[in-house]
Amino acid sequence: MLLFFAGTLLPLVFRDPRRETVASFVPAAVSSLLTVALSAWVLLSGSVLRLSSPVVQALPWMSLSFFVDGTSAFFMLIIGLVSTSVSVYSLGYTGYYAGKHGIRTLGSLLNLFVLSMVLVTATNNAFSFLLFWELMSLASFLLVVYEHEKESNLRAGIIYLVMTHIGTAFITAAFLMLYSQTGSLSFDSFRSAAGQLAPYTKDLVFVLALVGFGTKAGLVPMHVWLPRAHPSAPSNVSALMSGVMLKVGIYGLVRVTLDFVVPNSPGDAWLGLLMVVAGSSSALIGVLYASVEHDIKRALAYHSVENIGIIVLGLGLSVVFMSFGLEALAALALLASMYHSLNHAVFKGLLFMGAGSVVMGTGTADMNQMGGLSKRMPWTSLFFLVGSIAIAGLPPLNGFVSEWLTMQALLSSYQVPNVVLQLSIGFASIAFALTVGLAVATFVKLFGITFLARPRSKAAEEAAEAPRAMLVGMTLAGSLCVVLGVLPFVATSAVASAFGFDMGLVSSYTPFGPLTVGYAANGLRSVSSLSMPTVLVLIGSAGAALLGFAAVASSGRKTLTRRYTTWEGAFGALDERTEYTATSLSQPLRTVFKSFFRPHTSVDREYFSESNHLVKKSVTVTSESREVFEDQFYSPSLHAFVAVLDRVRRIQTGKVNSYLLYIMIVTIALMVLVVVQP
Amino acid sequence: MTGTLEVVVVGAMQLVAVFALAPLLTGIMRKVKARTQKRIGASVLQPYYELSKLWAKDEVVSDHASWIFRSTPWIVAIATITAALFIPVFVPFSPFTSAGDVLLVIGLLALARFFTMLAGIDTGSAFGGIGTSREMMMSSLIEPGLFLTIFVVSLTLGGTDLTSLVGAAAAKFGVVIAPSMLFGLIAFFIIILAETGRLPFDNPATHLELTMVHEAMVLEYSGRSLALIEWSQAAKQLILLGLLANLFLPLGMPTSSAAGLLPLGLGSLAALAKVVLLSAIVAYAETRVAKWRVFRVADLLTVAIASAMVGMIFFYLQ
Repeated sequence: MLLFFAGTLLPLVFRDPRRETVASFVPAAVSSLLTVALSAWVLLSGSVLRLSSPVVQALPWMSLSFFVDGTSAFFMLIIGLVSTSVSVYSLGYTGYYAGKHGIRTLGSLLNLFVLSMVLVTATNNAFSFLLFWELMSLASFLLVVYEHEKESNLRAGIIYLVMTHIGTAFITAAFLMLYSQTGSLSFDSFRSAAGQLAPYTKDLVFVLALVGFGTKAGLVPMHVWLPRAHPSAPSNVSALMSGVMLKVGIYGLVRVTLDFVVPNSPGDAWLGLLMVVAGSSSALIGVLYASVEHDIKRALAYHSVENIGIIVLGLGLSVVFMSFGLEALAALALLASMYHSLNHAVFKGLLFMGAGSVVMGTGTADMNQMGGLSKRMPWTSLFFLVGSIAIAGLPPLNGFVSEWLTMQALLSSYQVPNVVLQLSIGFASIAFALTVGLAVATFVKLFGITFLARPRSKAAEEAAEAPRAMLVGMTLAGSLCVVLGVLPFVATSAVASAFGFDMGLVSSYTPFGPLTVGYAANGLRSVSSLSMPTVLVLIGSAGAALLGFAAVASSGRKTLTRRYTTWEGAFGALDERTEYTATSLSQPLRTVFKSFFRPHTSVDREYFSESNHLVKKSVTVTSESREVFEDQFYSPSLHAFVAVLDRVRRIQTGKVNSYLLYIMIVTIALMVLVVVQP
Repeated sequence: MTGTLEVVVVGAMQLVAVFALAPLLTGIMRKVKARTQKRIGASVLQPYYELSKLWAKDEVVSDHASWIFRSTPWIVAIATITAALFIPVFVPFSPFTSAGDVLLVIGLLALARFFTMLAGIDTGSAFGGIGTSREMMMSSLIEPGLFLTIFVVSLTLGGTDLTSLVGAAAAKFGVVIAPSMLFGLIAFFIIILAETGRLPFDNPATHLELTMVHEAMVLEYSGRSLALIEWSQAAKQLILLGLLANLFLPLGMPTSSAAGLLPLGLGSLAALAKVVLLSAIVAYAETRVAKWRVFRVADLLTVAIASAMVGMIFFYLQ
């Protein structure tokens, strides 16, 4: 334990100006690995002991207490896994900033950021939780504005700072509510009081926590900071923010929901339904915005909104099932949700790292300027493809397994004895299904436009492959995607021991056995199962059979493969201007969902002479779709807020006599209050 | 049928049957279409001749294309073969039911589509781009439609396990009786038309840039790669029609694998007859509609989604 803390603190003290990069990121990688080891140790011993094994360490000079139970350990595992690969990646990535910005600042802030996230998950006290939470928010804010010479980055940083503090305010309120009930700020007392909370307090605490942690996690409509902050931050930071920091928000939500606000009566089901609604609408709205985005990092940021939505959807289902005492299903939904958290951390980390390599190679994040990178950056493109297949939920990678589990949890909603809930969850499953479909389409665009076809700009033509350290970092995350997809038992057993439920309910104990979900209703009984190792064997044998068939069928006849230019329809040479771009590729989607996007297209024509409008000098078409939430919710409320403050400002006249008048009025009011009150 | 060996043998036999009969089904559809248009049409064996001709031909690969373009036909074929291993087309059980369910099959078909779309972009041709662009729009609605249909079916028949789904369907008198299944059937039929690229979604017989979707994505393929893609497409069509037959019209299919050899054989023949009949219906319907405008296609897919939704509401409210 001490070694682990020392390992995380070390780079803060140790700043060697000459070997800044190594000094910053090697300790980060080592300490992240230690985090992985620590959480794995807790998870493994927890599963042996079948109880959460608390590791309490009270530092004598401050009333900090740490408590690493299964839940904390699971999220520490996520933090550790992603930050290990990101630290390795950063060793190469800092080359992008060499000479432009201080790498020392980046390195020490990054370490501070990871450290604060680990501390947030490990702390056992509301006060220190908020302290570390603030530390995490501020460290990430400073990282967002790292490239501070760009004005858009500063703007993104301010929006992030405001939003995150609104979230913190809600969290503080939730903790204060709990404090008023228990008289203590310790999580232990919150936990022990869990059963006896007054009904309305319980609901209020839950809603406050959902808004507060939802802001950090990026739930709609509190997501507005996310698509701005993630593209502004350096890519290694984006990978950490999207892959890990959003999960810390989920950690808070899980902690409050499952430990402090324990849903145990059918009256609590609406809390779960609230999460289901928030989750499914986040998922759908996130993926819709992602599907028309042409900035690669913004698109990935919107995908984070989508995936957080899927995670919260699973968590909400779990709460609904818990409220009705359906423990097996609650475990299934929780497994789906937590599995997806782990998966999202891994593949989103990978994708942001890939995007970082692309940005480093081409100097732009606009996909319309890219293309053909799979030839110039073969490894990056391979890793990005792995991440794309995983996030799109396609077999045989990890995204498919967790989405399979989510789908099974949705299908199991027939067991909830309430028609309204059943139908609501049914509607949520429409949103989920649409999300999955749109995610595939979006990643066709993200991968296809960035890496395939011919380059659309000079920068893309001259792109170079990323340095080796970055490739190693991506290899770590990429292989995790494969392992978590092919061997689901690694993740399921981690989740099962983290949350202390019986794995036999959803999965078999044998390492290579299938995941199984039972169905029993209306006299029908069946077991759905999914065994990824077997599927892999089948895919392999299908491939072998096909190759064998091809060899036999073509024996004797040798066919040749000729390379030639793409067919151009006899119109002359094709060039990059005839190619499809990210914007044109998503145009049908924009049209189909036009009631949502409200696209605004304006055409500017320039003519050679005003008398002849047939001969055009140039035609410029600008098409933009606006963020509904910013237009309809945030700007009006911000304007209203400013207007109210303007009114309030009028009382500050600057004249001493009017201030004396105020004082007198307040004094009289207080006296009246004292008299009136018994 | 519990032994591993039997499972593997049955699975392999069904796989061979699916891939062997798939071009025939395409041939029959073309013949039906030609006849309803008062043409004589080519022989029903024409797709076999085309495949063997393509197989022996040399290939041209665009010099802009990457390894994605070259490996896509193989990935598509492998994904389709793997999906065929799981689907009960001619037998009343899924050979590898313990390894995967209907959601896995959807996933595998989506994987094939994902790579086909990438290959469309890869050559840098505007034709491929237009195909991929339209397919992106359509697939993002086809996939939820398929998911929701499966959702309705698994609510009504229990679970997502294909063996028990088909068994439960067969046990229920042989035809659709539940209203939820009826709406599911409507949705599934529309989805199959869209998924296999039939009118009014896509016209498999044209190469006109205004109308083509799937053909535009695979326009740059030639030789053996094209053969693989067309064959996989035909097999996918047979798989989906077989699934529709076994889930919604299980007439003649024994309820379980323990029924004995004769009922099983008769069941296979009945399945074949139903699939042929269904494909004839699809082909006949194709001559009665025109290709729709691309953006109207979304409306039809929305009808499928809404229909599945109505089916789900019926299930919960009855």
